[in-house]
Amino acid sequence: MSDIASFNALQLDAIKEVGNIGTGNAATALSGLLSRMIHMEVPKTEMVSIYELGEHYGDPLQIVGAVFVRSLGGFQCSLIFIQNEEDANLMVELLLKQQFGTFIPVGEIPQEMTDSALSEVGNIVLSSFLNAINMLLGTQHQISVPGVAHDMLSSILDVVASIYGQMGETALLVNTELRVEGLEEGRKISGHIILIPDPDALELLLKKLKVM
Amino acid sequence: MAENSIVLGMADLMVVPAPIKLITLGLGSCIGLVVYDSFAKVAGMAHIMLPNSRGLSASEKVGKFADTAVPAIIEEMLKKGATRTRIKAKIAGGAQMFALPGMSADFLTVGAKNVNETMARLRRMGIALVASDTGGNKGRTIEFSTSNWMLKVKTLGKGTNEI
Repeated sequence: MSDIASFNALQLDAIKEVGNIGTGNAATALSGLLSRMIHMEVPKTEMVSIYELGEHYGDPLQIVGAVFVRSLGGFQCSLIFIQNEEDANLMVELLLKQQFGTFIPVGEIPQEMTDSALSEVGNIVLSSFLNAINMLLGTQHQISVPGVAHDMLSSILDVVASIYGQMGETALLVNTELRVEGLEEGRKISGHIILIPDPDALELLLKKLKVM
Repeated sequence: MAENSIVLGMADLMVVPAPIKLITLGLGSCIGLVVYDSFAKVAGMAHIMLPNSRGLSASEKVGKFADTAVPAIIEEMLKKGATRTRIKAKIAGGAQMFALPGMSADFLTVGAKNVNETMARLRRMGIALVASDTGGNKGRTIEFSTSNWMLKVKTLGKGTNEI
């Protein structure tokens, strides 16, 4: 495995571009699901100390809704779709109203059902993100069933620390934000996609893109 | 006397004289290990991330791994006046934040491995583990008081458990 700290600007840029392609596809899929415009931020490639992951993404104690999937195909990575708890609730409400009509009593739906809706949103976003990357790299696309969690940000991000912690002290992440447009005044729904490439998969990615 | 508090970050390890409150926020698969000697009035906490330091350079923080954190914290306790036979331990954390049906990956079950390794290391050093709140799928925030030697464990949706 190559040392993360030794990547040059061109290589980091290539990783960012991969994130860009994934984000575009994820935004299109989410837009189709919700029938709304989706605004996407330009992705960032970030080297983050595994000791500061919690702080890096906001208040470590804030409650977030997160969907996690694992790529089992040629490009090995993990992906998290992470939202503030309120944003996740609004996203689920939007999806359920869209599917079943505006009179559905969203507040009375059991959590298993809303979690199922949330995991579906996450699954579609992350799977589209990954699919675009696999197309680009020519790697096989295979993805795990999604897992959902609602918890403190720093607890959720322990999973990143446990992937990168065994190799060193820095994680390389691709981070991007999607935002649903055209909501009622005062409402906002956004979500972060975090790509956590397996340390070994980075080399494959850079080789395929001919920057290594 | 009021207790000041210290918040430990990931992989931090600290031993302090009473009175002080030791806090770790948002433990997921990580472990909060507490050791104390109530007679010598000294206590320590470590925020352990992974079970095993194998294959890693010696420059890593000792608090990061169960196999290095346990011996280091006991040694520090002895230096600060604790007596080995009086040292007691409590642990919290080691949750599995995400379960992917039909899939078992090393990093998903790291919480349980952290618990097992920490307990095994304590046993090997002859340290009594007197209380634990581990496993499950929820994150925990912990506070250890050196005035009553109790560990408060807060879990989202489940309130506070004192062990």
